[in-house]
Amino acid sequence: MTTTEASKGVILAELENMLRTVLSEHGMDDAEITAETSFHDDLELESIDLVSLARLMAERWGEAVNLAEFLAEKDLDEVIALRVGDLVDYVAGTLLAEAGS
Amino acid sequence: MTGIAIVGMSVLLPGAPDLQSYWRNLVNGVDSITDVPANRWDPAYYHPDGIYCRRGGFVDDHATADPARFGIMPSSVAGAEPDQLIAVRVAAAAVADAGGDRRLPARDRIGVILGRGGYLTPGLVRLDQRVRTAEQLVRTLDELVPGLGEAELARVRAAFTNQLGPARPESAIGLVPNLAASRVANRLDLHGPAYTVDAACASSLIAVDHAVRELATGRCDAVLAGGVHHCHDVTFWSVFAQLRALSPSQRSRPFHRDADGILIGEGTGIVVLKRLADAERDGDRVYAVIRGTGVSSDGRGASLSSPDPGGQALAIRQAWRAAGLDPAAGDSIGLLEAHGTATPAGDRAELATLADVFGSAPTTEPAVIGSVKSMIGHTMPAAGIASLVKAALAVHHGVLLPTLHCDAPHPALAATRFRPITESVPWSGGVRRAGVNAFGFGGINAHVVLEQAPSAKPAPAAVSVAEPVRVLRFAARAPEDLANVLAADDSELLAGEAVAGGGRCRLGIVDPTPKRLALARKAVAKGVPWRGRGNVWFSPSPLLADGGGLAFVFPGLEADFAPRIDDVVDHFGLPRPGAGGDDLCRHAAGVLGVGRLLDSALREMGITPDTVAGHSVGEWTAMITSGLLVSEAVDEELTAFDPEAFQVPGVEFATLGCGVDTVREAITDRPDLLVSHDNSPHQTVVCGPPDGVAELVTAFRKRNVISQVLPFRSGFHTPMFRPYLDPFLDLASRLVIGRPTVPVWSATMAAPYPTDSAAVRELYVRHLLEPVRFRTLVEQMYRAGVRAFVQVGPGQLGSVIDDTLREAEHLTVAANSAHRGGVDQLRLAATALWVEGAEPDFARVETATGPVRLDLGAPLVRIGTRLRTAPGATTGSQSTVDGLADLDTLAADSPIAAELAALLRETEETATLLISRAAALPCRLSTTLHVSTAAMPYLLDHCFAPQRDGWHDEVDRRPVVPATTLLRFMADAAEKAAPGRRAVAVCDVRLLRWLTGAPATDVSVDVVPEGPDQVRVTVGEHCAAVVELAVDYPAPPATPLAVDTAGETMPAVTAREFYDKRIMFHGPAFQCVTELTAVGVRHVRGVITVNETPGALLDNVGQLLGYWMHATQTTGRMAFPVRIGRVDFYGPEPAPGTDVRCLVRIVSVTETDFEADAQLVVDGVVLADIACWRDRRFAVHPDTEPAYRFPEHNGLATRQEGGWFAVFEHWPDLASRELYLNKYLSSAERIGYEQLPPHERRGWLLGRIAVKDAVRNLLWDNGSGAVFPAEIFVRDEDGGEVSVVGHHGFRLPEMAVSVAHSHELGVSIARFGRAPVAITIKHTPADVDRGHQFAVVHNPPDLPARQYIVAWTDGPASWDQEESE
Repeated sequence: MTTTEASKGVILAELENMLRTVLSEHGMDDAEITAETSFHDDLELESIDLVSLARLMAERWGEAVNLAEFLAEKDLDEVIALRVGDLVDYVAGTLLAEAGS
Repeated sequence: MTGIAIVGMSVLLPGAPDLQSYWRNLVNGVDSITDVPANRWDPAYYHPDGIYCRRGGFVDDHATADPARFGIMPSSVAGAEPDQLIAVRVAAAAVADAGGDRRLPARDRIGVILGRGGYLTPGLVRLDQRVRTAEQLVRTLDELVPGLGEAELARVRAAFTNQLGPARPESAIGLVPNLAASRVANRLDLHGPAYTVDAACASSLIAVDHAVRELATGRCDAVLAGGVHHCHDVTFWSVFAQLRALSPSQRSRPFHRDADGILIGEGTGIVVLKRLADAERDGDRVYAVIRGTGVSSDGRGASLSSPDPGGQALAIRQAWRAAGLDPAAGDSIGLLEAHGTATPAGDRAELATLADVFGSAPTTEPAVIGSVKSMIGHTMPAAGIASLVKAALAVHHGVLLPTLHCDAPHPALAATRFRPITESVPWSGGVRRAGVNAFGFGGINAHVVLEQAPSAKPAPAAVSVAEPVRVLRFAARAPEDLANVLAADDSELLAGEAVAGGGRCRLGIVDPTPKRLALARKAVAKGVPWRGRGNVWFSPSPLLADGGGLAFVFPGLEADFAPRIDDVVDHFGLPRPGAGGDDLCRHAAGVLGVGRLLDSALREMGITPDTVAGHSVGEWTAMITSGLLVSEAVDEELTAFDPEAFQVPGVEFATLGCGVDTVREAITDRPDLLVSHDNSPHQTVVCGPPDGVAELVTAFRKRNVISQVLPFRSGFHTPMFRPYLDPFLDLASRLVIGRPTVPVWSATMAAPYPTDSAAVRELYVRHLLEPVRFRTLVEQMYRAGVRAFVQVGPGQLGSVIDDTLREAEHLTVAANSAHRGGVDQLRLAATALWVEGAEPDFARVETATGPVRLDLGAPLVRIGTRLRTAPGATTGSQSTVDGLADLDTLAADSPIAAELAALLRETEETATLLISRAAALPCRLSTTLHVSTAAMPYLLDHCFAPQRDGWHDEVDRRPVVPATTLLRFMADAAEKAAPGRRAVAVCDVRLLRWLTGAPATDVSVDVVPEGPDQVRVTVGEHCAAVVELAVDYPAPPATPLAVDTAGETMPAVTAREFYDKRIMFHGPAFQCVTELTAVGVRHVRGVITVNETPGALLDNVGQLLGYWMHATQTTGRMAFPVRIGRVDFYGPEPAPGTDVRCLVRIVSVTETDFEADAQLVVDGVVLADIACWRDRRFAVHPDTEPAYRFPEHNGLATRQEGGWFAVFEHWPDLASRELYLNKYLSSAERIGYEQLPPHERRGWLLGRIAVKDAVRNLLWDNGSGAVFPAEIFVRDEDGGEVSVVGHHGFRLPEMAVSVAHSHELGVSIARFGRAPVAITIKHTPADVDRGHQFAVVHNPPDLPARQYIVAWTDGPASWDQEESE
């Protein structure tokens, strides 16, 4: 396992935790959240939920992790198609870039 | 002929409980043929040389009814022909499908004509068994065994007839055949002609032909037509077996080359017919139009079993002539739903007819021939309607449907223009037209020509039908009861009933999976509300049932608008709204149309709002659906509105994921940018020129605020729209303002709309220019009591409501969603609302499974065990031994007699043993229990509300039948149903609803055998238990339970004081505790002296438990039994006067329940063991106990300085409220209470209690003795004030009273004389009127923190002062 894969696993776990907070599902729903889980179809997340998620992500990983800007580059269809894995990649990429700079 | 429209349809057919499932089965080619269920005819009849076929179409799985819904007594169901109840159910469903009652024309213009044969239906068979077979049985026995004697024969007859259930002479009327139609007319209150017709298998289409004529001549404006056939009697099968008409291969293969006979089916189908012109005028959904009907007979042309093509052709030609069409024309027909019985002679004749009438050469595509008999069998008199409904659905949906099992078609098909198909295909091409055949035994022929409706939708590009999403709904009294239900295996729950239980604690699961069940279990176990995530809804204290309001909230324009409404339009037969579109006008019209459609659909489902609101243009939808804007006028305006004349400023909107304050701060120096919507704490919309908006969005995104420019421009809700206002000002002046049915909220004002029409118009304009204050609106609605918000449209509006109300308990649910089909989402919304206490009409969106399963069979009677003669039972002059001698003589010639003789001899030899085992299996037994204080005088010693001696309204005493008396009745009923045996255990006693003895009432006690030694007994809806039976009581345990006497203390009261202090409320008939022996930490002991009152012995066990609670608990000491796990009896109840030692051991104590075990011992021998006796604790505040025990001397309200009285609502739930309500209200006042809307009852009751206590205290202060609350009658006067008079002869001096209530507080003041007094509750001291005194009152610590300003007028407070004046 490479370092990146390992850290992606950690990021996924932390994102999963944040999503459960957003969905107020702590300890209730054991539904697996994976990289393939879709924000729209599986989690039925709505815009307002993303606002909370953005805050949680920035709190955890710093202001460089900016969900608002990440989403800004996507059109509506892309946002609907968004999966948890896309966010993991974005966070990992941002953290890597930060570490490199 | 006049076109006749089919505007509604429903069926109950094999595999299809309703129209939707029938359609799915037809499209998917589902084979619904099964083996005959054993209760329809006995498997013993099946024989290769007799009835050689045992497969067919059966509806048993779906044959349920809801008799109560139609005002039919559930007890009369067993005696009626089941097909009548099925006809009523299917007719009601067809009417609902046609848009419901309100769409029907005048009742005297509606007929009912049903095809039905005169066959041996189950009700008749049961009558025959009782009347003829029972007699035949004993007469034959008597002839064979002359010495049996009257008593023995009577036993045989009784053993036989007992199995038939109770005789119900009053139900014989239910067996008259025409009632299938008459009951429909009767129960649906239709006054046109209602009758049945019999033309064998052509019956249904003959009924349709009659209906067409009734409509064409104008005598009726609507007719329910169809057919009913539910006869699988073995005689019926036998006829077809003898004719060799049943398929030896046991397959229904119409038009297969090797088709070898029919399979018998059953079913009911009913269509609602109207003249096409009327249907179009009324905006009805038209499935298909009947263009022509034809009827003929074969005359001499045919023998009884071989049909005549000539006669058939006559009927078909007649129908097409009536339609004015040439059947042989190339494009005349696309689908021929044939009679297609799959008998060789029948198929051959029909194919010859078709070749003759429609010609042979397919000029274009061959037309499709089908026979639904390949899927459901031959439904006989209902065959025509099954075919007609199928063809109408095919025409309506534009789908050609498959026929099963026709892999090698009949050679004669080649000579016709028809071919069967194996899979559904779109029905493309010109006008969709179908023919339907039904040919009856004996040569009666009928044909119907159907054509697509003038406004029919085009054929679909591809055929698909979706299974409806499954929904489970559970209800129980409390979360722990729900937890018990959910404790079952996943597989059991998933396969079980979709709706189970009753009670206010509810759970709904949409599209249930093991994962969702696990989630539900967790939520229920925690007892916390769960509202929608994971498709689970659970509410331990339902918001709507507790008085919360329901709001419809209509969305406005959103970035994404993808409504899913096609199936909604289709399902409810509602008009299709415009398609929407990219430009602003069409987008808005689409949003409005979808909102109105969903509003109608929700109302069809019985979901109506208490108030409405909308977001942005959704506010217009709210105004229209509530009637604030008159919708017809709006429609005219919308049609007339010229989109070209309508222009908007070139400004853009952007949604920002933060609160309005943050946005305002960011735009203080940007006058070009304005807040247009304050949606929620985390969503604000700004409006302004595109560049400025884009800049702001970029800046906010940099700050990690999710922001989005919206894909439409309007400038609405900002002053930037002012220059473009003219068309709207014009529109506003022409809008017709009506009276809304419910309050409409304005998001401009965050308050309800005014009623004055000028003010409405003004606000309508302001709405276009001022910001949408949606966040404040939602907060205010919540403050006004709204607890459930239905988002009436697709989109994300609900999520901003959730964001605003994050911490406050509420429900939001969307009536439409991109995630689910339209009808499925409506069911989901209905489920969510049901969980909160709403009662949606689920029958509109799911198959109505009635609570009563109909028994369609009349199986052979089985006694269960051999009935053997017991010498003691013989009372005739001859002993059985004498009879045996006669039998021996007979036996010389008769082998049967020899066998009987041998049997009887064996009996004789083992007579002693047999006496003890002679009892027959338990039988079904229904009896009526008359409950009244006259029949059960002891109930007057079991009253919840004491009253003055001689009080003449017994209802006010609330005499309740004790749980243990019910237990005794259930055990007695079980013994009656199993003569010779005793009830040795009563298990799983569930006490569901109080049974009161005043007013007198009759309840049915039903015993249903569950096994050879076990019956289930129910007493109305009040209680249920399982009773175990045996010839003898089992041996008691060797030694009684030991007691640890170490920690015991002496009870603080004697047994006498126990009653005198009303620690127990029981009167003498239930006062059997004669010694309170000792009380321990977890147990109590006492002596109960048996008396004659039924159930008193066990009731006193409960009283001992009650004493333990009283002695050891400080709160929640009031408790009543809800469940008794098991009572084992080791002997009969001892004679009155016997002392029984009783030990009660407490098993568990929770906040809500006590559970205990107990043992009864007489002279060292165990008499009974009681396990898992559960009492539900009522939340009775200790301060209120004196008023509870001695209401004639104590009030709930307490005296306040200044001489007024205050009562705090110390009863947090309905059940405990009921306890006080019983004590305080007379029956007349109780009626007043029940007429109030639920949310007003709390306050009203608080006020009543306050007044009664203020008055009673005034009396007590002045030397009065006992005054019961019911003796003070409180009347409402104008202006919210009340007056008091003495009730039922109680003499009350003249008094002035005043009352007020707010939240948990009720206050009242009472003074002698006529001078008015006043008391009010104000918000602030500043509101207090001049001349009034006031005091600040706080809720006590156990209630929500709240402060009240109570203001009152001073006045004389004593009798003396009054008299001195």
